[in-house]
This record gives sequence, C-alpha cells and structure tokens, in this order.
Amino acid sequence: MRTTDETLTKPLESLPARVRHWSGGMGLHGVMTVLSLAMILPFAWMVLTSLKTLAEAADPAWLPHTAQWGNYPEVFRVIPFLRFAANSLVVAGWVTLLQVFTSALAAYSFARLDWPGRDRVFFIYLGTMMLPGLVMLIPNYEIMVKLGLVDSYLGLVLPAAFSAFGTFLLRQFMLGIPRALDEAAEIDGASKWQIFWTVIMPLSRPGLVTLAIFTLMGNYHSFFWPLVMMRTVDKYTLPVGLLFFDSEHGQATHLLMAAVTMSVVPLIVLFVLLQRQFIRGIQIGAVKG
Amino acid sequence: MSTGSPRRRWLVGMAFLLPNIAGFCAFTLVPLALAVAMAFSDWDILRHNVFRHEPLAFVGLDNFSRLLRDPQFWQYLGNTLFMMLGLPFAIAGSLASALLLTRVNRRRLPASGWVLGVATLVFVGAALVLLAGGMAPGGVGWMFGGLALGVFVLGVATGGTAYRTLFYLPHFTAGVATFVLWKKLYDPHNGPVNAALGPVLDGAASAVRHTPFLFGEVLPVAAGIGAVVLTAWQLRRLRRRWHEGEIGGLAVTLGSGVPAAAVGAWCHWQRGWNAFAWPAAVAVLASIAAATMVRRRPWRAAHVSTGVATEFALAMLLGPVLVLLVAALALGPALPAAATAGFAAPNWLGDYGWAKPALMMMALWAAIGSNNMILYLAGLSNIPPELYEAAEMDGATAQQRFWHITWPQLAPITFFVSVMGIIYGLQGGFEMARAMTLGGPAGSTTTLSYYVFVQAFEAGRLGYAAAVSWIMFLLVFVMSLVNFRLGNRDAND
Repeated sequence: MRTTDETLTKPLESLPARVRHWSGGMGLHGVMTVLSLAMILPFAWMVLTSLKTLAEAADPAWLPHTAQWGNYPEVFRVIPFLRFAANSLVVAGWVTLLQVFTSALAAYSFARLDWPGRDRVFFIYLGTMMLPGLVMLIPNYEIMVKLGLVDSYLGLVLPAAFSAFGTFLLRQFMLGIPRALDEAAEIDGASKWQIFWTVIMPLSRPGLVTLAIFTLMGNYHSFFWPLVMMRTVDKYTLPVGLLFFDSEHGQATHLLMAAVTMSVVPLIVLFVLLQRQFIRGIQIGAVKG
Repeated sequence: MSTGSPRRRWLVGMAFLLPNIAGFCAFTLVPLALAVAMAFSDWDILRHNVFRHEPLAFVGLDNFSRLLRDPQFWQYLGNTLFMMLGLPFAIAGSLASALLLTRVNRRRLPASGWVLGVATLVFVGAALVLLAGGMAPGGVGWMFGGLALGVFVLGVATGGTAYRTLFYLPHFTAGVATFVLWKKLYDPHNGPVNAALGPVLDGAASAVRHTPFLFGEVLPVAAGIGAVVLTAWQLRRLRRRWHEGEIGGLAVTLGSGVPAAAVGAWCHWQRGWNAFAWPAAVAVLASIAAATMVRRRPWRAAHVSTGVATEFALAMLLGPVLVLLVAALALGPALPAAATAGFAAPNWLGDYGWAKPALMMMALWAAIGSNNMILYLAGLSNIPPELYEAAEMDGATAQQRFWHITWPQLAPITFFVSVMGIIYGLQGGFEMARAMTLGGPAGSTTTLSYYVFVQAFEAGRLGYAAAVSWIMFLLVFVMSLVNFRLGNRDAND
C-alpha cells in the first residue's frame, strides 16, 4: 500500500512529506549513535587519560584539568617508541611484499599452468592451512636458533614470507580470470612469464590488494613470534615494545595511554581510508571455508 | 593450454612455484616433521642445552600419557572451553548489529560531503575549546554531547556507514595495545569500570536490603521457572521440527545436549553444586541415546545447513542463558545476607573467579562488530526481498518473519561463523593472557596456547609443549572436519 502511495505522490512530494520520510528513521539513528558511542568509549578514555598528569590519571574524573600535550613527546624520551613503530612497519612491509609476490607466483602455477602432480602438491598446501600456527612455532624457533637468526629482522620476516593461505586466496582469484585472455597472449607469442606479469598480475589487482592489506594488518599486530624471537629492546616491534613499556613503567598510566593512542590511531585512520577493500577481503576470505 | 612435454611443463610449473615452495618446505613442512618428532622425544632444556649434550631419546607416548595425568593441562583445557562460552553472545551481538545496520535509512543526505565536513569541524572545534580552556567537571557532559551529535550527524550523512565503521573499530584495533588499555580500564582502584560500577552496586545493595524478599526468594523462584519454561520451549520446538522432518537426530542431540552440558559444566565448576552435574550429564547422554535409537528420521536431515547449523547456533545461545538462570536460582538466596555489607566491585583481573569473565567481556567488545557482522551484513543483503513481501502478504509478524525467513536464510553463515569461532577459540587467549594477566591468578586465564608458550619458552620443556600443541591440533582438526562434512558445500567451492 505504502509503495503505491509513494509512487503516486512522488513527483508532487511536498517538502513536509520529504522531511517526514527522511526523519522516519531518526529514532533508529539515535539508537545507533548511542551504541556506537558505547563501542568507542574505551578509546575516548584512552585519549583523555593520555592528556592527564600522573596525579590526575589516578582520578576517576574523565577530563584532565589542562590538556598535557607534552605527554606525547615524553613517551619518546621514556621508550624508543618511534624505533618500535619503524621496526613494526619495516618487518610488516617486507613480509607483505615477499608474501604477496611468492603467493602470486605460486597461485599462477596452481591456477594456470598444467603440470604433473600439481593437484597433489596443492592438496598438501590446503592441508597445512588447517594446522594451528602454534604447532610449527616451537620447531621454527629451533630452526632459527640453528640458523643463528634469533634476534634478527630476517628471522622475523622469513617464516612469515611464505603463506599457504595467500597462495590459496590468489589462486581462487586467478581462477576467476577468463582463460581466453592468456590464450590470446599465448597466440601472440608471449612467454609464461610475460603472461603472468602483463596479463594475470594486473587483472588480479583487487586480490593482491586484499592479501596485502590482510598481511600488513596481521603482521603489524603480530606478537607471539617477535616476543620469542627478539632479545634486544631496540629491535622490538610495537606490540612487544608496548608490553615492555607496560612492565617497565606501567604505573605511568598517562604515558602508557599516550603510547597506546599513538599505536591505535594510525590503525583507525588506515581502516577509515581502506574500508571498502577491507570489507571485500573479508567476504572473499570467508568463502574459503 | 598444455604445451610441451610433461617434463617441460613440470619444470615451468615448478619454476613459478619454486620461491614459495622452498619457503613452504623450510618453514612449514620441515617444522611439521620436527614437531611430530619433538612430541615423541624427551627434548627438555634441562637435558639438552649449551652445557649439556645428552642425546635426544625417543620416549614414545610418554609426553602424551604425562599430559593426560597433568591436572594443569585439564584445567587449562577447561579454561579454553570456558572462554568460548562468550562466543554465542558475540555471534548474537554481530547478528543484532547487522540487523540494526541494515534497517538504518540508507538514504544519504544530499550534500553529505558538506554536512560531514561541518559536523567534523564542529566536533573538533568543540573538543579543542574544551581542551584549551580548562575543564570544569561539567565538561564531560558537553564532551559526550558533542561526540554524540557528531556521530549522529555523521551517521545520517553517510547513510549508516559511519556506525558500521565505529562498530568495527574495536575488532580492527584489537591487539596488545587495546589489551593494555583494558588492563587500565579494569584497574580495581583507578579504573573507570569500577568507578562507574560503584554507584550502581551501591544502588543494587540498598535495593536488596530494602526488599530482601524480592531478591532472596522471588528472584530464584522466577529464575527457576524461567529455566524450566525455556527448557520446555526448546524441547517442544525440537520435537515439532523433528516431526515435520526439518531436522535429524544430530540436530536434536545438539539442541538438547549442548545446553544441558553447559549447565552441567557450571554446576561442576561451582563447588557444592556438583551433585547437580550428574542429572545434566544424564540429560546429555539421554538426548544422544534418544536421537540415535528412535530412528524415525534420518540422522541428518536433507537441508543440513538449515537444520544442524540453526539448531547448533541456537543451542550455543541457550546454554549460557540457562546457566545464568540456574546461577540466579543457586546464588539468589544468599543475596540479602551479602547485601548488608554492600556489594564490592570486583577486582577484575586479580580475582580467580572474575578474571575469565573480565577477559570474555573484553573479547565480546572486540567481537560484536567483527568480520562476523560484515558477513551477516552481506548475508542479509542477499536474502531475496520477495520472501519478505510474500510473508507480509500472509500477515506474518516481525517475529515470524525473523524466525521463518531471516534466521534460516542466514543459517549457513551462522554455521560458518560458529565453527570458525570455535577453531580460533581453541587456539586463542595467548595475547590476552600475556598482556593482561600472565595467565593468572592461579592459572585461571591460562589457555592451551599460553600453556604451550609457558612450557616451551619459559620452562623449556619443548617435547611436552609440542605434545600439547598436537592435542590442540586434534581439537581443531575435529572442528574442521565438522565444518567440511556439514558446512554448506556450495560455499566451499
């Protein structure tokens, strides 16, 4: 009934009607606003506490008397925060670069090349995806000890640079690219490498971007492996560094919150900017089952 | 596409695979073989270190038999499973937020860019004024008012997308940083959680003191009646669906067994109520036996995804609710006596009983607006609108529309999300334990993954740790099989 009414009156819709239609969902908007606020309440406390003095941080009142912006530079004096952040970014960046590249090569081999034993090898890849990372972690650490890579960036990057999941994700993506395209290129005399590099890679861009974002995020957060691998404080990644800060100066709530703010805010900005790619990635990732 | 001899094709294929497979062998297959070997060896830092080189001995199943006799292992396995009781709440929360988000008027404001810009400016300006010009206690009201206004305007301007973003942030940022933040939030003396809880608890205590009868007697009775009614409702539902051939024996077993098991586990955990754990265990066995023996319907119904998955998810949700009701029944009578001294806010992370719920609540905060919510949103947008139109024509109420259209249509997602949640839950808890509680107090927040870490890297019992990690693999493997056998096949291909 309502739809008919709407179609009939649409061209003549008066201003009050439009306002009414538009304001119809305002109650729901109100509910959503309250719920959203509840979700970000911890972040609000985090920011406000980071602007307090040490004495105020013990006070239940939320607001500082005067904003202590100096807390932020103070963090850099107490711990090598920028060093931690740089370590995280460099490690995550290298892992992402290597993982996307090796996964794309392998995915091309699995999705497009026809070689004896291919499906059996792929099945082994799939099988290892079920294994909890923890199972491989202890022996991997022993391997790192034998290779002398404990407490080195290389030791952080190497094991994470090859991923069965990434290979799987990109293979699924490449299977969706029409075969006619590489066949045409082949007729034109392109080599396998040229097909891979000039035809498949550009067309796989959404998949590559998705994998890159996921890998980058995952490794920025990564905690277990850097925790067992890194010995020198200067080589800590951000999560390990924050924990170090907490255990060394945990009583300085205001500084701790300034450090937490500085490690969370870039993530928030990144998410707001890359939302669309990220959400698409979640949907692709879920299909793997 | 197949050109050249098999040998040549193999070489080309391998050439592309080489960088990946080299790393895959070095950091996945070799460690895997090593992990198997370790689990059967006596690799212990006490015997094999820089100073002592006793040869490694293979000890067969020793590590595993020790593990079975290790009371700590069982406690930590229990912790891991207990933490997963939060999962159904998280899934229900994700579904509820997805439903709310799809209902929001998707119409963006015409000049949304302008509104957005102005709202942000107003908000930032207000915040700066507040921050710069000394803050009176009343400043908090102004701040939250401004924040709410900003969120509201942004939400209207972006047609609801802003809410989705804000809901998702806790999940996106979850990591050591937010765990450190929550450690401060839970601080028993200076933390905002207890600061906010104080007046609430005082009010509750005075309410109990004023009406001891209501809380000491009416509440437990009401909770008991509630538990019985809920159980009866669930059993009737199961029976009806069974008769209509919508579900098979497996769904009946899950639907009745999972809540019974949850109640039984709680009774066992609450010392003194141990005797009541037995009826629950009997109920679980009876539901399995009944469903197996009365084979009037096949074990698995034709529509596996809408049968087993739905019942499984609903049972997972019913379990904790029943536990809460039974807890109110059990603990209610003691309330008036406890209230005379007033209720003290819990020492969240420092208390044996509260540490686990504290971590679970934090995890819930991060899990509601998570990937699960995104998947539900996608699922909701894929439900054909004709179904709702037809239902509306037949005069179905909103409740009926939900249970007969939305819920079954989303069943494959619910199933996927539950199984994945269990798989991650079995491996989870390490970061929280390490960053917030160090597994304590008294091991109450040590999960299997944290136990592996402690055994391997703190105690140096590498062989034993490997054995524990293989048990974890076994559990994950079973869940993966469940997913593979019962999951929606179409979604898997």
